[in-house]
Amino acid sequence: MNAEPMLAMSPEPATLDVTGLSITYGAGPQGLKAVRDVSFRIAPGEAYGLIGESGSGKSTIAYAVLRHVPAGTVSGRILLNGQDVMAMSPQTLAGIRGRVVSMIYQDPMSALNPAIRVGEQIAEVIRQHRRGDRASAWARSVALLGQVQLPLPAEIAHRYPHQLSGGQQQRVVIAMALACDPELLVMDEPTTGLDVTTEAVILDLINDLRHALGVAVLFISHNMGVVAQVCDRVGVLYAGQLVEEGSTAQVLRAPRHPYTIGLMNALPTIDRAADRLVDIPGRLPDLRVVPPGCVFAPRCAAVQDICHAVMPTLEPVGTGHDSRCHERDRLERLLPAVAPATASDAPLPAKADGGRPLLQIVGIERSFGRAPMLALPFLRRRTPVRAVDDVTLDIAPGQTLAVVGESGSGKSTLARCVAGLLRPDRGDIRLENQVLSPLVQQRTRPQQRALQFIFQNPDAALNPHWTVERIVGRPLQLYGGIARGAALRARVVALLEATKLGERYLERYPHEMSGGEKQRVSIARAFAGDPRLVVCDEPTSALDISVQAAILNQLRDLQQRHGTSYLFISHDLGVVRHIAHRVAIMRHGRIVEAGTPAQVFGAPQHPYTQALIAAIPTLEPKRLRDGTAGRLRTADGMIDA
Amino acid sequence: MAMSQSLVLVTSRRWRRLDAAGIACLGFVLLMVLLILFGPQIAPRSALAFDPLHSLEGPSPAFPFGTDEFGRDIFSRIIAGTRPTLLVALAAAALGVLLGTSTGLVAGYVGGAVDEAVMRVMDTLMSFPGLILAMLVVVMLGPDAMNVVIAIALVFWPRSARLVRSVVLDLATREFIDAARSRGETRLFILARELLPNVLMIIVVDFSLRVTAAILLSASLAYLGIGVTPPTPAWGLMVRDGQQFIELAWWLPVFPSLAIAVVSIGTLLVGERLRRSVATPGGGRPR
Repeated sequence: MNAEPMLAMSPEPATLDVTGLSITYGAGPQGLKAVRDVSFRIAPGEAYGLIGESGSGKSTIAYAVLRHVPAGTVSGRILLNGQDVMAMSPQTLAGIRGRVVSMIYQDPMSALNPAIRVGEQIAEVIRQHRRGDRASAWARSVALLGQVQLPLPAEIAHRYPHQLSGGQQQRVVIAMALACDPELLVMDEPTTGLDVTTEAVILDLINDLRHALGVAVLFISHNMGVVAQVCDRVGVLYAGQLVEEGSTAQVLRAPRHPYTIGLMNALPTIDRAADRLVDIPGRLPDLRVVPPGCVFAPRCAAVQDICHAVMPTLEPVGTGHDSRCHERDRLERLLPAVAPATASDAPLPAKADGGRPLLQIVGIERSFGRAPMLALPFLRRRTPVRAVDDVTLDIAPGQTLAVVGESGSGKSTLARCVAGLLRPDRGDIRLENQVLSPLVQQRTRPQQRALQFIFQNPDAALNPHWTVERIVGRPLQLYGGIARGAALRARVVALLEATKLGERYLERYPHEMSGGEKQRVSIARAFAGDPRLVVCDEPTSALDISVQAAILNQLRDLQQRHGTSYLFISHDLGVVRHIAHRVAIMRHGRIVEAGTPAQVFGAPQHPYTQALIAAIPTLEPKRLRDGTAGRLRTADGMIDA
Repeated sequence: MAMSQSLVLVTSRRWRRLDAAGIACLGFVLLMVLLILFGPQIAPRSALAFDPLHSLEGPSPAFPFGTDEFGRDIFSRIIAGTRPTLLVALAAAALGVLLGTSTGLVAGYVGGAVDEAVMRVMDTLMSFPGLILAMLVVVMLGPDAMNVVIAIALVFWPRSARLVRSVVLDLATREFIDAARSRGETRLFILARELLPNVLMIIVVDFSLRVTAAILLSASLAYLGIGVTPPTPAWGLMVRDGQQFIELAWWLPVFPSLAIAVVSIGTLLVGERLRRSVATPGGGRPR
C-alpha cells in the first residue's frame, strides 16, 4: 500500500521534479513573494499531498506545474518527465497539458461547460489530442465515464452538467482529466465543495484509479484528513515555504515542525472530545517584506532567539522526513505534545444544567416552491419541497444544541425559522414558554434582543460601508439606549476586547480585516445585546483550521461567561464534537437522531448517522471500507430524478 | 448640485491623493459653479442686447466666437447661457436619479407584488421614446423651465430605477441584510442606512451620465421649440437658431455645440473620478 520506501532511494526519473521554485507577484522589492524556494519530487504512481492554509501558496504551485502563472515571475525549475516546463514552446506546452499532466479543480460546476453534454465535453478533449473520429472519441468518452464508476455511462454521457449531482459532476471532471492517459493528475481541493459522504466516495475513486492506472497525483488540500486518505507523502506549506516533508504517517502522526504540530492540535476530530482546541495565535506574515529569520517565528510556541535571526533550512529528522526548524530535535520539551487520540467522554462544562428549556422548537415545518393558486397557462405546477419537516427540539439554558446535516438537509432553513427570518408553515418557536411571532419584525424588542445570529460568511455578514465601531455599536443603540459618544465607544471597545480585538479596530472597514477578525466582529455584534440564545450558522466553515480553533474557543468562553445558549448549525462532526452539549442529526428536513455527543458519536443508532461518521476522513491511513461505504456508493451513484 | 458634488470631492476622507486628474476635475467643477452663479456678470458683453452694426461677424479678437444675426456676442451668450442650460440639466438629473433610486431601493428590497407593480409602471414609462415622452409632458404642462426639468426627470426615472433595483436585488440576499433584519431594524433603516451606502457608487456614476443626457435632451427640446423660449441664451436654443445660418455663418451653431460637448465630457470625467474614489469604502488605506 505504502509507496514511500520504494521512492526514497530510487534513482529513476521523477514524474514531477520541482527544484527551488519561487514565484513573485509584482515587481521590485515590494513584490509579493508568494512561493519561496520550494523543492519536491513525485515518483511515477506516487500521490503527494501539499497541505496549507489560505495564503500558503499551495494553489499557486499547482498552477505553476501547468505553467499557468499569468501575473507572477517564476524562478527555479519544474521538470515534468524530465522536460523543463518553463522552457517549453507554447505548442509543446499545449501538447503536454492533458497528455502528461491534467488538472482537477475544486468546483466541478465551473469546470464544466453548462451548455454542452458531458460526453461531448470529454470527447472534445480526446479529439483535440488524438485526432480520432467522432464515433471512437464518443465511445472512449463513455468508457471513461464507466471507469469513474458512474452508473449507466452511455446514458449519463447525454446529460448536461446541471442534470448531475455535485459528486457526479466531479466524477465527470475526473474522467475528462483521465481522457488522454496523463502521467500526473494535479488536484486542487477536489472534494472541498462536496458533502462528507460524497467526499468519501470520491476519495475511494481516486485511490482506485491510482492503483488501476498507476497515475501520479499532486494533491492540494487544507484538510489533513483528506490528504491522509489519498497521499503517500506530504509536504506542509506555510507562507510560501515548505516547512515539513515526509511520509503521510510521519508528518501527520509524528509531526516535527511547530506549525504542523499546531495544525494537528487545532484540528477538531470526533475522537478528541471536549478538549480545548489549541489555536495558532497571530496571522500570516506580510510576504512583501519577508523576515530574515524563520517565517513562522512570530506565531511559534517554541520560538528561540535564533529563530528571528537565521532562517532554518530543511533538515532531515528521520528517513525521508525533513523539518525546517532550528529546534526540530527539542520540540518535545518546548511544546505540549499532540493530544492523544483517545475518546474522553467528559461532558463539556455547562453553566446551568437541566431545568426548563430556554428555547423550544415545536413541530416546525417549512416548504419551498408552493404551487400556484390557479392552474393557468405559463404557470408551472411545482411540487413543493419540504425543507424542514416536523422538527421538534429543545435547547437548555447555557447549553449548545448542534444541528448537523449535509447540504440540502434543511438545517439552515431551520436556523432561519428560529431567527424569524423565514416564516414557518406550521409550528411554534417558544422562548421561555412564550410563543414568538414567526417573523422577527413582529417580535418585541426584548425578544429580538434575546435571539442573535452569527452568519457563515464573514465577508457578507458585515456591511462593507460601515466601520467596526458602527457595526458593533448599532445593537447597543438599538437595545441598550446608549445613543452615542464616549459611553457607546467604551462599550464597543469592551466588546471588542472580549473577542480579542482591540480599540485599534474601531475605525476599520470589513475589507481591512482577515476572515477570522471579521468573524470576531460578528461575534462581538451578536453579544452586544447580551443575548440569551445565539444562532450560529456554520460560523467557522469559511475559516482556516487554526482560526477555526480560535473562534470555537472564543464561543465556548463567551458561553461560560454569559450563560448563553447556542443553536449551532454545522456540517462538520469534528467541530460539533467540540462545542455541543446535545447533537441532532438532520436529513431531508427531519431529525433522524438526537442525543448527547457521547451517545451520537459513540453508539450511533441510525444508519445515516453511522454512514456520516464512517465517511469522515480521519488521519488514520487509508482503511478498507466496509458495508457502510458500499451503501453510500449506491446512494451517490443513483441518477437524480 | 454641482456645489454638493464638489463638496463631496473636497470633504470626503476618501479623497486622499489630489493628483493631476483630481485637480483638473476640481477645477472643472469650480469653473462650472462660477459660471452658473456669475455667468452674466463675467460675460464681456450683454447676452441679450442687439447690435445691428456687428451682425453675423466671424470670430475676431473683439468677438472670439463671432456674432449672431442680431449682433449679439456668441462668446458672452455661451457664458451667460451656462446657468439656464446647466441648472435645468442638473436639476433634471438630480430629480430623475432621486426618483429612480428611491423606487429602485423599495422595489428591489420589498420585492413581491410591490416590485411587480412598480416595475410595470416603469416599463410603461420606458416604452415611450425619451424625446417623445419629454415633449408630451412639456406640451401638457406648458413651456416652462420647471416643466422641462419634470419632463426630463420622468424620462430618467425608470432607467435609474431599473439600475438601482438590479443592484439592490443582489445586495438584499447578503447576510448583513439578514443581520439587520434579525436585529429588528425597521425597513426604513435598512433601506437608508444599510442599502443606500452600498448603491451610492452606482448613483454617482448614473448621475454624471444623466447630467450629460439631460443637457442633450433639453437641447433637443429647445431645438424643437419646446421648453425654454428665446431670447434665453440656452445652448440648445442657440444651436437651433443658428443652424439656419449655417451656410452664411458656421460659428452660430458650432460654438454652442462645442460648449455642450465640453461640459458633457467634463461631467463624465468627474463622474468617473468620483466613482473611483467612492468604489472602496475607506479608500483602501494601507493597513
